[in-house]
Amino acid sequence: MKKYFWTLILLMGGLGLSYITMAQTPTDGLMMPKGDICFLLNYEYGQFDHYWEGETLRKNGTIAKVQRRTSLVMAAYGITNRLNAYVGLPFVSTNSTTPNGGKFAGTTGIQDLTLGLKYEAFRYQGEKGEWTAFGSVTFSTPVSNYLSDYQPYSLGIGAPQLAWRGLIEYEWNNGFYLRGNGGYIWKGYTEAERDYYYNDGSYFTSWMDVPSAWIYEAVVGKWFMDKSLRVELNYNSSISTSGDDIRAYNAPQPTNKVNMDCVGVFAQYFFKKPKGLGLVASYSRVIDGRNAPEMSSVNAGVTYQFGLFHPTN
Amino acid sequence: MKTLYLLLAVIIAVVTMTRCNMDLATELEYESYAFSGIDSDAGSWKPILISAGSDISVDEPTAQNSPVFLAELEAVKSRISSMSNDQKKNVDHWTNNAVLRWNEVALGLIAKYNLIPGPNVDESYSLPDPANPAGPPVFPFAHPPYASRALAYLSVAQYDGMISAWHYKFQFNRPAPYRVDSEISHAYVSNNLPSYPSEGAVLATVSREILTAMFPLEADYLKELEEHHLESLILSGENVPSDLAAGKKIGEEIAAIALARASNDGMKYSQSPKAVSDSLRKVAFDRFGWQWVNLESPVRPVGLTPLFGKVKMWSVQNVESTRPGMPPAPGSEAFQKDVKILQDYADNVTQERRRIANFWQDGLGTYTPPGHWNDIAGEYILKYKMNSIRTARAFAYMNMAIMDGGISCWDTKYYYYYPRPIQLIKDFETIAGTPNFPAYTSGHSVFSAAAAEVLTYLFPQEGSIFREWAEEAALSRIYGGIHWTFDATVGTTQGRDVAQYTIDVAKTDGADD
Repeated sequence: MKKYFWTLILLMGGLGLSYITMAQTPTDGLMMPKGDICFLLNYEYGQFDHYWEGETLRKNGTIAKVQRRTSLVMAAYGITNRLNAYVGLPFVSTNSTTPNGGKFAGTTGIQDLTLGLKYEAFRYQGEKGEWTAFGSVTFSTPVSNYLSDYQPYSLGIGAPQLAWRGLIEYEWNNGFYLRGNGGYIWKGYTEAERDYYYNDGSYFTSWMDVPSAWIYEAVVGKWFMDKSLRVELNYNSSISTSGDDIRAYNAPQPTNKVNMDCVGVFAQYFFKKPKGLGLVASYSRVIDGRNAPEMSSVNAGVTYQFGLFHPTN
Repeated sequence: MKTLYLLLAVIIAVVTMTRCNMDLATELEYESYAFSGIDSDAGSWKPILISAGSDISVDEPTAQNSPVFLAELEAVKSRISSMSNDQKKNVDHWTNNAVLRWNEVALGLIAKYNLIPGPNVDESYSLPDPANPAGPPVFPFAHPPYASRALAYLSVAQYDGMISAWHYKFQFNRPAPYRVDSEISHAYVSNNLPSYPSEGAVLATVSREILTAMFPLEADYLKELEEHHLESLILSGENVPSDLAAGKKIGEEIAAIALARASNDGMKYSQSPKAVSDSLRKVAFDRFGWQWVNLESPVRPVGLTPLFGKVKMWSVQNVESTRPGMPPAPGSEAFQKDVKILQDYADNVTQERRRIANFWQDGLGTYTPPGHWNDIAGEYILKYKMNSIRTARAFAYMNMAIMDGGISCWDTKYYYYYPRPIQLIKDFETIAGTPNFPAYTSGHSVFSAAAAEVLTYLFPQEGSIFREWAEEAALSRIYGGIHWTFDATVGTTQGRDVAQYTIDVAKTDGADD
C-alpha cells in the first residue's frame, strides 16, 4: 500500500542565516507510481533572535529578531515506479522585527529552482518488516537576481547546488519505521556586488566560494489509523567542509563555515475522502551550530496526488 | 536500465553546467615588468617629511673590484644556486615593484581590523586601547579615518625613503650583482637601476615599521614579510647584503621620522570622551537647531572619532578653510525634496542602484573607501608601468589627499552634527548600514573625490573615468539610504577642493619636470 503514497519532507533547519540545505528535498522513503503526479503547497515561518558567531551563541540588537517566511510550490511525478522526479520553487521574504538598531530593509522574492530525481535501488520484504533503499540527486540554482551577500536577510546562498543522498529505511509490520540518510551537497560560487572581501585574507574578486557540506538525518516514525497518519521525530545535521567564521559583531557572508544540528517533529495525514488529498505539518529547531541561526520553524502544507495518465478519481 | 542512463545523462549535464573550480585571486596578479622609465633624477625630487633625499646619510659602498664586494657576490651566487622552490615562489611574489605588494598587505590588515567593537554583556561599549592592543576589543578598529591615516603614513614614508635611495643610487652608481657577474641570473625584467642602496630594503623596512605601529598585533607577521622580502632581493640577483644594509638604514630613519609625526598629529585624541562629543552636539544644536543621534541598540554613547577633524593635515593649513556651507534645515523645502528622493529610492530598489550601493559600500570588514581607491590606483600604476618610485609617489599624494579629505569631512560632520535619514524619515529602512557619525558631508564622497582628483593629475588621460567613479561612489550612499543628496554632492566638491592643495604640492616636487 505504502508505495501508493508519497510525500515531501522539508529538511528543517535549512532556512535562515546560511541556508545549509534547501527547503525542498525528496528525502523520505516513499515512491510514487508511474504516471502519478502530486502537488505541494507549503508555508513555513521561521525566526531567530540568537545566532552562533563562530561557536559562541549571541544576540544582536542590530538585527533584533529575524523573521523568514517561505511559500513553496512543488510537484513530483512518477516517471516509473522506481524513479520519481521533483521540481520546486520557493518564494521567500525576510525582515527584522522593530525596534531594531540596524534599520535594514528586508527582502522578498523567488529563490532557487530545484530539480530532483529519486531512484528506488532496493526493496526487500522480510518476515517482520521491509527494507528499502534509495538514492537521490537534486540540483538547484537561483532563478532571480537576489543578493546572497546581504545576510541575514538574503533569500538564499545564491549558488548552484548539487546534492547526493543515500537513504535506507526499515519498516516493521506494526508500522514503526527507522530511516537514515546521508549525503553531500556540493555548493558552487556566488557572485557578490563588490570586488573585494575578506575571508581569512584578501580576495580581489566578486566571486565567493560557498562551502560544500555533509548532511545526515535520522528519523523514527510510526504509521497510525490504517496508514492514514504518520508521525516522525527527526534529527539532522549539516557540516560544512570549509569556510571562515563570522567575525566579531560582523555580518555573516556566504563564505562562512556553517554547521547545524536540528531536531524536529513531522506529521502527515492522508484523507480517505477526497482521495489523494493530504496535509503536512512540522516544527523544528536548531539546537546547536556554528555560524548558524538558532532558528525555529513551523510549517504547514497541503498535498494533492492524482494519476496524470490513468485518472482514478 | 533506460532510466539509469537517463539519470546518468542528467547528472553529467548538471555537473558540466556548473562551474566547478574557480581561481579566486587573493593578491594583485602581476609579474615583474619593464618600467616606463627609471627616473634617474628622482633623488632630487622634494620629499614630504624631510627636506631632501640627502638628509639621510649612507656610507659610500665598497668598490666593485674590492675583495669585500667580490666576497658578497660569491655568497649571493651560492645562495641563489641552493634556492628552494618556496624561495623561488617568494622571489616571483615580490616582483620588481614591491610598493604594490606592501600596499596590498596594508589593505588586508585594514580589512582584518575594520570591525566595530560590539556591546559588552552589560550593554556598555569598550574602546580599542593602543596600550592593550589584544583587548578585547582588539586595537585598532581600522575604520575609514584610521585606514586613510595608516595608508598616508605608509605611502609618504615609502616615498621619502625611495627618494633618499634614488639619491644615493645615482650618486654611487654601483651596478646590480646580475650586471657585474654573468653567472648571477636576474629573476626580474631588468631596468638598469644602480643597486646601492637597495630600494627594496627601504620598502621592506619602512613598511614593516609603519604597519607595525598601525597594527601592533601583527608585529610577527610583518617581521616575517620583511624577512621574506629582503631574502627575495638577494635571491633575485638584484642586491648584495651591503645594498640591503644601506636600504634598511634609510627605511628605519624615515620610519622614525614618520612615526614621530604620527604620534603628535592629534589622532590619539580623535576618539574623544563623551563630554567632549556632547559639547560639540550642544554647540551644533544651539547654533542650528538639529542634532544627530546614534540609533543603534544599545546606543553608542560617542560617535566615531569626533576630533578626527582636528588631526594635522598634510597639505592644508587650516581645516576650516575647506569647510562647506550649511546644509538645508530639516523641514525646509530643499530638505523635503530630498526626503522624497530617498523614499523613492527605498521603495524602488533597482538592480543598478543596488549594485552601485554595494559596489562602493566598502563597509565593516572591508578595506574601506580609502582602501578601494588604493586598489583602483594599483591597476593604473600597472597599466602605465610605473617604476617603484613613481608608484610610491602616486600612493603618497593620493593617500595624503584622501586623509586630508577625511579630516576636512570629519571637521564638517561634527561642526554641523547633521542627522541621518533613518533619524528624520519615519520608518525608513536602508540597504546599507548607517554609520556611527553625523551625515553631512558624506565621507565616501569626500574620500573618493579627493582620490579621483589626484589620480586625474597622475593619469590625466584617464581622468573622466576616475571622476565618474567618484560621483558614482557618492551616489551609492544615497542609493544605500544612509545619506542625503546634499551630503554627497557637497562632499564631492569638498573632496576635489581639498585634493587641490596636495596636487599643488605634487606639481612642484620636481617629478613633472
